[in-house]
Order: sequence, then C-alpha cells, then structure tokens
Amino acid sequence: MRKRTLQRGLTTFWWATIFFLYLPLVVVMLFSFNASNSAANFTGFSLRWYTRLLGNEQIISAFWNSLVLASVSSVVALAIGSLIGYGMYRHRHRKLGWLIVLIYLPIVLPDIVFGISEMAFFVSIHRYTGLFQPGLGTMIIAHVTFQIPFVALIVYSRLVGLDATLFEAAKDLYATPFKRAVHFLMPTLKPALISAFFLSFTLSIDDFVISFFTAGPESATLPIYIWGAIKKGVSPEINAIATLMIGAVAIAAVFSLMFNRQGRH
Amino acid sequence: MAEISIALRGRAVVSETRHLLFSVMPGAVWIIVFLVLPSVYLMAVAFMTNGPYGQPQMPLSLESFRQLAGFGFLGWSPGNLYTLLRSLWQTLLSTVLVVIVAYPIAYYITTCREKWRPIMLLAVVVPSWTNQVIRTFGWMNLLAPGTPLSDAAQALGLIAPNMGLYPSNFAVTLGLVYNFLPFMVLPLYAAFEKLDTAQVQAAQDLYAAPLRAFWHAVFPQTLPGLLAGTVLVAIPAFGMYVIPELLGGGKGMMLGNLVANQFAGSANWPLGAAGAILMLIATFAGLFAMRRIGKRLGGGEEVVI
Repeated sequence: MRKRTLQRGLTTFWWATIFFLYLPLVVVMLFSFNASNSAANFTGFSLRWYTRLLGNEQIISAFWNSLVLASVSSVVALAIGSLIGYGMYRHRHRKLGWLIVLIYLPIVLPDIVFGISEMAFFVSIHRYTGLFQPGLGTMIIAHVTFQIPFVALIVYSRLVGLDATLFEAAKDLYATPFKRAVHFLMPTLKPALISAFFLSFTLSIDDFVISFFTAGPESATLPIYIWGAIKKGVSPEINAIATLMIGAVAIAAVFSLMFNRQGRH
Repeated sequence: MAEISIALRGRAVVSETRHLLFSVMPGAVWIIVFLVLPSVYLMAVAFMTNGPYGQPQMPLSLESFRQLAGFGFLGWSPGNLYTLLRSLWQTLLSTVLVVIVAYPIAYYITTCREKWRPIMLLAVVVPSWTNQVIRTFGWMNLLAPGTPLSDAAQALGLIAPNMGLYPSNFAVTLGLVYNFLPFMVLPLYAAFEKLDTAQVQAAQDLYAAPLRAFWHAVFPQTLPGLLAGTVLVAIPAFGMYVIPELLGGGKGMMLGNLVANQFAGSANWPLGAAGAILMLIATFAGLFAMRRIGKRLGGGEEVVI
C-alpha cells in the first residue's frame, strides 16, 4: 500500500518536472502566433511575426551567418577530429595522457573563459599583424576548437566498439592504406561520422557565449541577434525566430540520434 | 638475421610514430594554437597594467588582483566581493536544488518499463538542445510583470506590487536549476540502473526501516553518479554568464558577468583576466576534488566527465 502511494507521488512529480522543463519553450512558441505584441496576453492567432521576419534584412543575414558558421566549422572539425579519434584508437596502447588532457580542455573550460581568451588573442594579433580580424573567420576557428573533442570521442568510441580482427582482415584484403581507408574504414565509420557532423552542427547553432566574444560587427548569428533584440527591449519577432530555431535544432538532434543508434547496431 | 629484425622493428617504430604524428598532429596543434596559447596569453594579461583604453600594458603588476578584491581609486568597496559570494551561493543553492529534483526523477525512470526509459530520458534532455538565450528568454516571458506567475506571487505578498519575478536573484536560481537539471538526471540514472538490488533486499530482510535501508544500501551506490552530476552542474554554474545577465539585473550579477563586462563596456582587460584566473582555479580545484573523492569511494570507477 505504502509502496503504491510512493509510486503515485513519483508519477505526479515526474509530470510536474516535465511541465517545468517544457513550459518556457511552449510559451515562446505560443506567443510567436500571438496577434498582439503583448508578452502577457494571448489575443488571437496570427502569422504576422513570421511574415515580418522575412522582411527583416538583419535577421536574414544572421540566419545565413549561422548556417555558414555551423556547416563550415562542422566540416573542418569532422576532418580534424576524426583523424584524432583514429590516431587515439591506433595508438591506444601508448601513453597518450597529454592528448587526453588536450582533448578534454575545450570541454571543461568555462565558456566565458574560452570566449574571452580567444577574443583577447585574436584582437591582440590583429593589432600587430592584421590577421584574424574578428568576424566569421575567427568564429569558425573558435567553433572548430570546441567541436573537435566531440568528433574525436565519437569516432574513437565507434572504433573501440569494433572487432579488432576486422582490421587484420582489412589489412589482408586491401594492400594499400589508402584502399583500406576507402573500402573499410570509411564505410564502417559512416554512421559515426554523420552523427558527429550533426552533433557539431547542433553545438554550433546552440552556442552563444563563444560566438558573442569572437564575432565582428558584420557577423552576428541568430542567437547574437536575439540577444541584442532582448537587450534593446522585447520584440515579439524574437518568439518567431526562436520557434524556428527550436524546430531546426530538434530536427538536427533527431538525425544525430538516429545515425548514432544505427551505428551501434 | 637478428640485426635485420632489429632494423625492421626500428623502422616499424619510426613509421608508427610518424602515423601517430600525422593523425593526431593537426588537431593537437589546432587546440594548442587556438586554445592553450590564448588561455596562457589571458593569464599573462592579468599580470599587466590597465592602459587608458582598457588594453593591457607593461609594466607587470598585481594591480588587477587588488582591483578584483575590491580596491579602487576610492578605497575599498565590497561590490566585487558580493559578486563573488553571490556566485558561490548561487552555485551551491542551484546544485542542491538540482539534486533534490533530479534524484527522484532518475529513480522514477528506472522503475518504469524498459521500453519507455530511453524516451523518458530523451524527454528530459530535449529542452537543453535549444539555445540557452532562447530558454532564458522563455523564463523572462513567464516571470515578467503582469504574467500569471508574477500575479500569483504578488497575491501571496512575495513581491512588491507592479513588480515582476524578474529581474531577481530568485529568477537566476530558477534559471540555473532549469538549465542544469538534465546534467544531473543522466549520471544519476546511470547509477540507479546499475543498482545492486540484492543489497536493498538484504536490508529489508534484516528489517531495516525504509529510510535506513535507503541510507545504507541505496545512497552509497548512487554516489558516483551524484559526484559526476555535481561536476557537470557546479562548474559551469559558477561561470554562468547568460542567465544572470538576462534574469538577474544589476543586483544578480555573477563572476561571469564581472569578467565579461571588463571586455566590453567598462573595458579593463587585466581585471577581467584576473577574474578568469579565479574561475579557472575554481574549475580545476573542483575537478581535482571530485576525482579524489571519486577514487576514495573506490569501486575502481572513474568519475566520467
């Protein structure tokens, strides 16, 4: 009897927590369809904020910046990160403590320290050499830096999960390392690589702090635009962009999960 | 014969090393150039003097650390100390609250049918996939003056009339708990799933009161998960920037805001860098402490970051 009351209490608590977790997102999505620009009262359904988005040049340019930043940085991080993942696997019997520290560094460093050290570094180098002008380029560099560890760890864990004799078989089958890479390594790693790409993409779209400090005046991304709009005073258009971003991230995340699961089976 | 084999082995070692260098080098160099060097540079900046435009200058000095401790042109003021204490308090409070919510949730998921569990975990994690700025903006909408939540708080006499629940320290705590809840649920769930129920059974067979059975048979087994969760919550909470900036207002500022402001408006790079050093010390001390405690707990289990 007592056990059942406990279970019932827990079920209620579970639904209350889920309500708590989704409430702010639901409010944002709901008010993006609000006919008036009140943040407190819902006065009727309308798509006016979405149509206003299409006419706002700053938002369109922020959207393209976000997209370019996320795709370019993910591709670069995928190339560099999967190489590290493979190197870690091939040489896993060596003492690679320094490499592990290096890979975990971007993960454990507080965002704000990460962001301001890159900013201070880029700004100072720019002053003396003219290189690294703050803008999309510096943002891509910063994003690749925090994406590399995730790609490396995904690729590494996929390789560790494989039967080691497969590598021997591949060695016998395909003589040259290049052929081995094309016919054996790439196909087996494909789900892990796709999953790593989508994770990097999501991380990039999700990032605000590091982008904010490495951005230049022309390279605002959607989160930076939203931040500015909030700081200037709440505009209901923010709800509409936010809703679109929630949708986009949800789709990318589902893809990442799908390929990750496929890779494990 | 032997000589040849040694020579061959030597060549194999060289090519193995070359392989290691080629595969690992691009990434290692990337992280060293674009993260290690900038962090070292930032640390150096903390020991320089603040120039007229907020840029670091020679000579070397400890002025920035004096300023961080609150000493300025007009003598000592407690502002920075308050900010620091507030960061510590907010971190502690939100971590404790996150544990209180996450513990039953993680346990509850393990009591549900196996096929539901991944979906339930996903349901907890999905909100954290959206941008932090957007999630915090959602809470601004919910806590603003005139919203049902603010009206209810007013009716209860918790806040002054015509005020909202934000900006306030309460809103920052709420935002932190909301933001970090999934980071605690996941490791705790992993701990609960591995729970050795034989111990619980044994305690019950020996007529241990439920609370006692929990304390001696369940709680110690979940400790590694709890520790991992604490690392994942407390360290980023201490350096949080977005949530106090949007939900806290002037009186809710935390260390992250103090540091960031030195690189934007009031520009004083050395002071900001000194704050960043403090944050780094806290981060690595936290990681180190958790590792030590985790090792002492034994079980040969490393706290996974």
